[in-house]
Amino acid sequence: MLHESLRFYPGGDRAIEVELGDGMDFSINFIVHRLVSTVRQSEIRGVVDLIPELASFQVNYDSDIISYEDLCTEIETLYSELGRGVTGSLASRLITIPVLYFDPKTTACISDYRKKYPDKTPDPELVRELNGIPDLAALKRCHSTTEYWVAALGFWPGLCSLLPLRPGSRIIAPKYDPPRTDTPKGAIGIGGALTCIYPDATPGGYQLIGHTPAPTYDGTQRLRDFKDSLALFRAGDRVRFAPVEMDEYREIEARVAEGSFEHDIIDYQVFSVDRYLDWAKAQEASA
Amino acid sequence: MSRRITILKPGLQTCVQELPGRLGFLEQGFPISGPFDIWSFRQANILVGNHRDTAALECQFVGPTLRIVSDCMLSVTGADMSPTLDGTPIPMFTTIAANAGQILCLGFARSGARAYIAFSGGVATIPVMGSRAVFHQAGVGGRAVEEGQTLPLGDSDASTRFTVQASARPTITTEGRWTIEALAGPNDDWLGKESVDLFFAADWSIQAKSSRTGIRLTGPEFSFSEKALNKKPDHGQDPSNIIDHGYPMGAVNLAGQTPIILVNDSPSTGGFINPFTVASAAFWKLAQAKPGEVLRFRQIDRAEAGVMRAEIDAKTVPEVLERV
Repeated sequence: MLHESLRFYPGGDRAIEVELGDGMDFSINFIVHRLVSTVRQSEIRGVVDLIPELASFQVNYDSDIISYEDLCTEIETLYSELGRGVTGSLASRLITIPVLYFDPKTTACISDYRKKYPDKTPDPELVRELNGIPDLAALKRCHSTTEYWVAALGFWPGLCSLLPLRPGSRIIAPKYDPPRTDTPKGAIGIGGALTCIYPDATPGGYQLIGHTPAPTYDGTQRLRDFKDSLALFRAGDRVRFAPVEMDEYREIEARVAEGSFEHDIIDYQVFSVDRYLDWAKAQEASA
Repeated sequence: MSRRITILKPGLQTCVQELPGRLGFLEQGFPISGPFDIWSFRQANILVGNHRDTAALECQFVGPTLRIVSDCMLSVTGADMSPTLDGTPIPMFTTIAANAGQILCLGFARSGARAYIAFSGGVATIPVMGSRAVFHQAGVGGRAVEEGQTLPLGDSDASTRFTVQASARPTITTEGRWTIEALAGPNDDWLGKESVDLFFAADWSIQAKSSRTGIRLTGPEFSFSEKALNKKPDHGQDPSNIIDHGYPMGAVNLAGQTPIILVNDSPSTGGFINPFTVASAAFWKLAQAKPGEVLRFRQIDRAEAGVMRAEIDAKTVPEVLERV
């Protein structure tokens, strides 16, 4: 749900958390991004950095230049001018990520964890069960037949929070408790209502269902897609998962290793929010 | 020949740092990084005639040994790691004229945890995404220095020797107890009222697993408010879970029952609450506090945080230097 008005929470003497709502859905997140981009364009003096998140955003500011109270007022004014409607179109790149579902790397990672915690149901099986999906082939179909909205990035360089745009592809999964101490780079996991792609080998808590050989983070900026940033995704991009088999997976791995791999990024796409919401509503009605 | 230094022994995770850190990439998940103790860092720079935000070395717990390849002015500030030049002890917070071929050696920290070494001209590594600051864990801007590595220095004609007035230096306690100024929020309303009071009244000891990515604390248990216990499932299962949100620098992040102070290389976002935030002007004390030492938090407001910032700012300008 979207709150009636913005809620401001101070984070010490150099940050403000601005909360717009308390749900994880596309509409709230879309309004977050629109407000963040308006704040950015208005070039308020003293604003140092912005972090859009699922239902809120963080403003880092220099409190020797602008006070907490004045900055809150500025943001409130921008929000009232902008309105709370979810409408319009925006440029949104469409990026296709090849995935080997139920691959050897994440399977080994899950087995390792289960040596210590034998009661843990293997991740794909757990996700399938909890979501009433008949078999693993159907899980793969459900996960790969939707576009995902890059709702936010954070926690680790390039780590994305992906919201499925097709209502029928909403899959919910609990997080690991306790978390894994390691996750293979490129693992694809589900936690809460979100999918993520691990940009690097890090600890983690999402249920693992597959692996991509295509890097979403390149610390050495060796590959062409990483010339401007070490991280591939930007908020407001859309992602599609393309299932591949082992031969194609190996072939992509080899192209990454030799440095010739390029992502499939469609850059001319425009995303119509109105048409999307109409479509999602119709999908839900027919479900 | 270009000016440079060569690392002979790296010390424990010695990294190049620069101010203001890596700004503009928080939304892609890159932490700001930069020096942990800005007070000592800036004094190190002004001692050698640099702009106070110039890239310099941050040493952690055990300092490096390095060879000066070209004549330069250098300074060592922050934690006392018994610095020597060619085996002779050198004064801290004081400009040293070092000659080509001399060996600078720092040892274990006797007081504090982090020392800074600045060189005239600054460390001139290649900036990555706008900054020379190193985020070691992810290898952003490079990693900790390694044996045999050469670091280029920028040009400088500095030749004057200074020392920092005693009254302007940070006081690094050896008593093992620190008072850390903190503000309530952003999520103090997720805790029970008695837990908010207890946070500011209790002793919190620093766990061994503490670093630039977070300072873990051990202390009393927290109780939660209705807001944390009775919430939409979108927030997650644990009382300390919240819908993923931004993490402010200095936030006291509560994952389950373990508070972790989020500092320069900490995650930018996540799904746990941040009931309190350490004032920016108290960061230098977090940088100098060691595992096993005790923190006591003192609640302040934004006005007092501003006064504290101004005090440190006034102590990190050339006016605090005396010629020697």
